[in-house]
Amino acid sequence: MDAADAIVRVENVVKDFRPSFGLRSRRVLHGISFDVQDGEIFGFVGPNGAGKTTTLKVLMGLIRASQGHATILGCDVRETAFRQHVGFLPENPYFYDYLTGREILSFYAKLSGVASRAREGRVSELLDWVGLSAAADARLRTYSKGMLQRVGIAQALVHEPKVVFLDEPMSGLDPIGRKEIRDLILRLRDEGKTVFMCTHILPDVEMLCDRVAIIVEGRVRHAGATDAFLGEGEPEADLVLAAVPADLPAQLEELYAASLRGHGDRLELRVREKFVQDVLQATLGAGGHVVSVTPHRTSLESIFLHAVEESSRC
Amino acid sequence: MLSAIRVAAIASNTVREAVRSRVLYVLLFFAVTLMLFGIVLSSLSYVESERILQDVAMAAMRVFGVAIAIFVGVNLIHKEVDRRTVYTILSKPLTRAEFLFGKFAGLVLTIWLQLAIMVACFMGVSALTGAEVGAGHAAAFVLLGGELALIVAVATLFSSFSTPLLSSFFTAGVWLAGHLTRDLRDVGLRSNSEWVGEAGVWLHRMLPDLQSFNLTIEAVHGLPVTAADVWLPLVYGAAYTTLLLLAATLIFDRRDFR
Amino acid sequence: MKPGSANRVVVRGALLALALAITIGAFGALDATPKIDRGEIFVPPAEQLRFASFGFDAVLSDYYWLMALQLVGDASKPVEGGSVAKLIDVVTALDPWVGHPYRFAAVWLTDSLENVHAANRLLARGVAYSPLDWRNRHYLGFNHFFYMGENAKAAGILEGALHLPGAPRYLAPLVAKLRTEREGLETARGFLASLVETSADPRTRAEYLKALDEIDTERRARLLDQARSIYKKRHGRDIERVEDLSTGQRPVLRKLPPAHPHFSSFAWEIDPETGDIVSGFYGARYRPYEHIRDKERRQRWLGDAAHVSRES
Ligand SMILES: Nc1ncnc2c1ncn2[C@@H]1O[C@H](COP(=O)(O)OP(=O)(O)O)[C@@H](O)[C@H]1O
Ligand SMILES: [Mg+2]
Repeated sequence: MDAADAIVRVENVVKDFRPSFGLRSRRVLHGISFDVQDGEIFGFVGPNGAGKTTTLKVLMGLIRASQGHATILGCDVRETAFRQHVGFLPENPYFYDYLTGREILSFYAKLSGVASRAREGRVSELLDWVGLSAAADARLRTYSKGMLQRVGIAQALVHEPKVVFLDEPMSGLDPIGRKEIRDLILRLRDEGKTVFMCTHILPDVEMLCDRVAIIVEGRVRHAGATDAFLGEGEPEADLVLAAVPADLPAQLEELYAASLRGHGDRLELRVREKFVQDVLQATLGAGGHVVSVTPHRTSLESIFLHAVEESSRC
Repeated sequence: MLSAIRVAAIASNTVREAVRSRVLYVLLFFAVTLMLFGIVLSSLSYVESERILQDVAMAAMRVFGVAIAIFVGVNLIHKEVDRRTVYTILSKPLTRAEFLFGKFAGLVLTIWLQLAIMVACFMGVSALTGAEVGAGHAAAFVLLGGELALIVAVATLFSSFSTPLLSSFFTAGVWLAGHLTRDLRDVGLRSNSEWVGEAGVWLHRMLPDLQSFNLTIEAVHGLPVTAADVWLPLVYGAAYTTLLLLAATLIFDRRDFR
Repeated sequence: MKPGSANRVVVRGALLALALAITIGAFGALDATPKIDRGEIFVPPAEQLRFASFGFDAVLSDYYWLMALQLVGDASKPVEGGSVAKLIDVVTALDPWVGHPYRFAAVWLTDSLENVHAANRLLARGVAYSPLDWRNRHYLGFNHFFYMGENAKAAGILEGALHLPGAPRYLAPLVAKLRTEREGLETARGFLASLVETSADPRTRAEYLKALDEIDTERRARLLDQARSIYKKRHGRDIERVEDLSTGQRPVLRKLPPAHPHFSSFAWEIDPETGDIVSGFYGARYRPYEHIRDKERRQRWLGDAAHVSRES
């Protein structure tokens, strides 16, 4: 990877928070570094309190790094003008709730320097894009959390930025809401935008991100392509069987080195992918039913837990 | 430099938000009530009751005007930070100075709106009681508007780094002291200690000389008011306000929104 | 109704009644007598008040003005001049452009020389701030003449009010009268005569001409006074009637002058109270009128003051 054309560069950023009273400041970011490349969805992953939001605030110029350096599109993050090309969705965004969806987007369009001619069209287009056309003229006070999140995404996009920063875009949403936001993010990538996304929800990362950096306690523990993480080790599959005869479990365990969990005549087991055919045949032959077969990939979760464990050890 | 569009966008939204505040209307209601009460009060005097009515009404405008200025002024930035609306706003290509000036302009407009309502009420009670209103009154109202804008700027400065409660104390303090400095200076100059005299003079120079914005007595008595009585304080006030806002910007620029 | 809810209503009702009773009782027990009635009005020194008025001078001034009105409004108590003086001092220090409070002070501060002095200080402030208002000068001049017997000074003050808008016509003749004592009749006459020439208003002129008639009469009365003393020397006794001066043996005058320049039907008389020769038209000599009791009071006050100043 060529670091020179990175869209976002973070180099050894340190952030100390000084409490309002008292002298001892607390180090929240311990010199983190990473790059985000053009056109990718980058996942910034870590447990709560790891420093994701803090990093993002440094990038958005809301707080100053105590040490280190960060650039977006080659510009120091303390500058203002380049934000023309940057969109930001904060964690749990709040907007003036006495405005309507249309008004708030128009407000942000003005701030972003969208020409007055183009403003109205752009706002309508965006409302449509995030699926809020129907509620466009209702006050934000009446919006659901999912709708607000979509307003948040819309305001981040109002000036057609090149790179979009999303802080926990899916947190607090119901499954349908999460799916909608996921789809929006994928559409952003399809439109060629670079997406930087903080989250602690790992399945989302697996599903969306091209690359991830794992941050734990203010330090980046792993960084790399998502597939590379997930490709490690031999593929396995999870099977759920029903009406299994009493002697079958022991047999499967012995023959295929399956790990088992069973209650009554129902059996859940994990085997290596190459044994799936054999296990199914054995089951059906013994008169059992197959309920489901799911390929199992090494989850980010295990990597993640491993990273957290590691950091607590040292 | 500042972008007019962005400043105007922040300002108009600030007005829109501020006029929704109930406290504002409560204060306005008190002001109007006090003016009406002035009619009763002034009838206690068998002479010069129109003058007393106008004195009371002017005082009501001043007190509640300042109360409104402090109230909206100190909440200026705090509300935006507290509700984290500032995050999305400042992530736009908008400098913090533009944000601050926009908020300030919006609040000043709001306060001038309130002042206009109070002026209308003043005219109402004056007409009701046959008290005369002349050019002196217009001058007094304009200067009051200048004083209130300056107070908002003081509140802006304090609220750029402090909590609303502390800011309101500080701002009220500056307001009181600003009306006191001329007398303080005079007392200092009369004292035996050269040091005290010098301190008084410097206090008068440093703090806003708010008494120069007070034409109440001149207006009510119809005393002659020169053009310089009006434009000098206005120029002074505008310059002082700019200084305060620049200082506020310096502080605000360095601030972490966490 | 749920069981127990009736109970709750009773308890709350009782509590409400109790709280109400205590509130009303305690309120009644509070000593809410106005401070003025308790005789303890506290009026901060004007200097301090002005210092701490924070731009509310005018309305504070009004507050103390209303307090002053209350103070004199209570007919059941004698007005204590000192309090009025303090209040009006504050009123006019906070807003020196007020009008009526100065005259209010002049009216109410007449119970002692000290208070008259206080009133004069206030009136002087009024004159300084409202130089075009004749009334403050009028009261100030009046005080100097009436309570302090300083006629020349009074004349000087009143003269400043002569040409101010609204000044009454009688002012100039009064000034002339007051000036007579120190400057003599001819000066007074000249002063009035020049005013007659410059005043355009016919009624004002008429007023001045009337005053000039009185001065002419006074001139003649003074002539008669001289004649009277010659008569005394010549006859060893005083006249019994004014006509004695021109009748009988060896009259001092060949003929008595008319007792009024225009009305010949009036004669000279001897005032039984003062023994002065007076014109029947005027009934008194040309000098500021003063009731004997006023004169006595003034002499008492001024005597006291002299006494006090000698002691100290
Ligand atoms: N304003 C602040 N003052 C002091 N500490 C803070 C402040 N904001 C966040 N922190 C601390 O910094 C750490 C990182 O916080 P944050 O970046 O919000 O975590 P994340 O977004 O990864 O959940 C946390 O331990 C948090 O307690
Ligand atoms: Mg966070």
